Amino acid sequence: MADYKYDHKVINELVEGTLEWYQLKNMMSSHKDADRFKVYREVMQERVSWDDPILLPLGLHLYIVLKENGDRIVKCDCGHEFCDYQENWKVHANIFVRDDEEKMNEIYPVLMAPDPEWQVIREYYCPSCAAQLEVEAVTPWYPVIHDFEPDIDTFYKDWVKLPLPEVKSK
Amino acid sequence: MAKSQILAIDAGGTMTDTFIIDEKGEFVVGKAQTTPKDEHIGLMNSSRDALEQWDTTVDKEFPNLLAGVYSGTAMLNRLVSRVGLRVGLVLNKGTEDMHRMGRGLQSFLGYSYSDRVHINTHHFDEPLVPRKWTVGVTERVDMFGNVVIPLYEHEVEGAIQKLIDEDVEAIVISLLHSYTYPDHERKIRDIATRMINEQNKNIKIFATADYYPVRKESHRTNTTIVEAYAAEPSRETLANLDKALRESGTDFNLRIMASHGGTISIEANELARTCVSGPIGGMVGAKYLSDNLGIKNVACSDIGGTSFDIGLITQGDLDIESSPDMARLVLSLPLVSMDTTGAGTGSYVRIDPNYGNLTLGPDSAGSLVGVCNPDSGIETVTVSDCHVVLGLINPDNFIGGTIKLSREKAYQAVKEQVADPLGLTVEDAAFGVTELLESQLKNYLESMILGKGFSPSQYACFSYGGGGPLHTAGYTKGLGFEDILIPAWAAGFSAFGCGAADFEYRYDKTLDLNLAEKATEQEILAAGKELQAAWDELKGHVGDEFKKNEYTGDDVKYRLFFRMQYQGQLNDLEIEAPISAFKGVSDYNTLVKAFEDMYTRVYAKSALSPELGYSITGAIVRGVVDVPLPKIPQEPLSSPKPPEVAFLGKRSVYWDGEWIQADIYEMEKLLPGNKIGSLSIIESTATTLVIPPGFETYLDENRIFHLKELNK
Repeated sequence: MADYKYDHKVINELVEGTLEWYQLKNMMSSHKDADRFKVYREVMQERVSWDDPILLPLGLHLYIVLKENGDRIVKCDCGHEFCDYQENWKVHANIFVRDDEEKMNEIYPVLMAPDPEWQVIREYYCPSCAAQLEVEAVTPWYPVIHDFEPDIDTFYKDWVKLPLPEVKSK
Repeated sequence: MAKSQILAIDAGGTMTDTFIIDEKGEFVVGKAQTTPKDEHIGLMNSSRDALEQWDTTVDKEFPNLLAGVYSGTAMLNRLVSRVGLRVGLVLNKGTEDMHRMGRGLQSFLGYSYSDRVHINTHHFDEPLVPRKWTVGVTERVDMFGNVVIPLYEHEVEGAIQKLIDEDVEAIVISLLHSYTYPDHERKIRDIATRMINEQNKNIKIFATADYYPVRKESHRTNTTIVEAYAAEPSRETLANLDKALRESGTDFNLRIMASHGGTISIEANELARTCVSGPIGGMVGAKYLSDNLGIKNVACSDIGGTSFDIGLITQGDLDIESSPDMARLVLSLPLVSMDTTGAGTGSYVRIDPNYGNLTLGPDSAGSLVGVCNPDSGIETVTVSDCHVVLGLINPDNFIGGTIKLSREKAYQAVKEQVADPLGLTVEDAAFGVTELLESQLKNYLESMILGKGFSPSQYACFSYGGGGPLHTAGYTKGLGFEDILIPAWAAGFSAFGCGAADFEYRYDKTLDLNLAEKATEQEILAAGKELQAAWDELKGHVGDEFKKNEYTGDDVKYRLFFRMQYQGQLNDLEIEAPISAFKGVSDYNTLVKAFEDMYTRVYAKSALSPELGYSITGAIVRGVVDVPLPKIPQEPLSSPKPPEVAFLGKRSVYWDGEWIQADIYEMEKLLPGNKIGSLSIIESTATTLVIPPGFETYLDENRIFHLKELNK
């Protein structure tokens, strides 16, 4: 099914958001290409400046990467390393909480924001590059949400049926 | 050779096809490159190409022509590729973003079902009028036509001047509820006209009340914009075509196919309604044929390369959709109602990589046929490839041999892409594809008929289009149609339909006449007066349009229609008024009875709800004048046994698990009266009729095949 394969260039444009609308529409309307994860992971790898192999993308700027010693850690695309992937990276990030009207009104028109007694907005930033990594809107007392606990081995073995990426020997 | 009779022109984006039909209903098709700047050049080239096949010339034959009908895609292309006039728009102050935002459903019109529910794919196209050319003026009229805020005339000049300064080429004026109170729009129109004249500009003005005075603001505004944006530029093209034809000796009024299923003059006031004429040609042809054959209810089915189109003729009338969409815009035009699904012979066949099941379309190879066409560059299997594998179509005689198909390529592609992944033999996989297509079409056809409140046993099924007859048996099997008819000229049926369309204008006007169940005589008479006034006004429009072609009062046959619903319900019904004028209370009772009869038919008798009271929501007038129409072939009956010359030999065809030697016939050589059993394939240049096991066919004296399912 030749017409379902997208090369690295197209997937990179998809990530960049520079595809024409009709290309995007075709892509969305078609069956998902079987090798998408493989290509997508490779494109992501090409886009970052470091060599640790990406195991799984974890957000707009975050990845789970494999270290030489076999550790799987959460890493920002700027190179900042957070923690083991089974831990919640958010507790290692810089956190800004919008919990009063003044802070809410920086991003919402007046009277359009939630009542901070009921809901606060927590923003998580990379301590190195200051990229906004995640935002959660929760009741004030709510614990920091642990978004995702992937079973990487099963995902590779049973879902995408690919070998796990390995650290390149230098 | 008989005399040329009717010329039907189909000017597509790349090719201009001309169909010239003679007295016997035989036709030739000419093709030439479309010349978008001067369409008449393409038309004349195409006509020459057609007539050469009859060894004659334009000069000899054109004076014989009795009628000419044009349909073209130029307007639609202008819309789709957004290359129309620079249009300015005048709206109510405060609603200037209305057109830009568009109706929500415009973001997914024309999408497949799976995309409709996949909201990420939804997308609004560029508005026809950008925000910077939209101005607002203050006024407000409520839905009953009461002026709530008068027109602020002092705002009008400034607003219009802004548009003139922006150098627009046309101005559309659309105010809320103007269909019930047109005065404000017309006042703005008059002020604008004066200003444009004073400034010596050439800007045409379109007030919605003058063009499409019907309810639904987005629809009315869109339609009037389409009129200015896409239709107006075609006037000159059409005039040039007419001129070129007359210079070649024709003496008829060139007409254009319009969305309501009739043809109108190229000088008609409203041209936007000719935008969507293409696919309805077949429906119009089917109506003409069924009228002549005395068949009241017909389900029309047309399979082309890209889609399956079905529409119904009920009680001798085409169903009309009053707010259709086109080029992803909601419009207020009466359009012959048709349902389309993206499943044709060119549809791509794929295995869903996630679930491993077979899927068809919705995209297709269209005229490129499939992998079997070596020059197409197509790599994905299409339904046509499966036909080739199964032996249903002759690879050496496709479109009369103009495209040589490769069975080898088709076989390999079906094997690699479909059969191997499914673990089937190539033949079983290909047969499975055709069965899947047919069962999809069958479900679609059945659900459409049942959804309208009818049953297939009340209908005859017409099948035409290049791919229709190949699958007719499959998609009608078991539905119990009264009869299944396949005109032997199935492939050119759309063109035949264009030639068979009446010269007919249709005008619609929205009304809001609400009457309680037990309305007083006074209330009924007041409503009747308003209804009659609307009919008179619309008859005036129809009469005026016909005058442009020098038809006068007595030449025009009028038909009056009304739209009615129970008060508060959402859908109204369009019904022909069984009265010739509204004179008294008994006429009202007649209209109510006609409405409730129709309501019973479409919904159920138990759903009748007179206690809600009635609303008359619209008046419609259709006016027809007599024009020459093509003759339906009429030939003497011969014996049931087909003549030797029609028999082309035998071919192996794979059918339901085995290879069968099928009899192959040439469609044109068969004679009326011939009866053909299974397994047979009747070939023509542009279509193939398959008579599978369990069926037989009979060619009648009108050269129409009747496909009959044999009882087991």
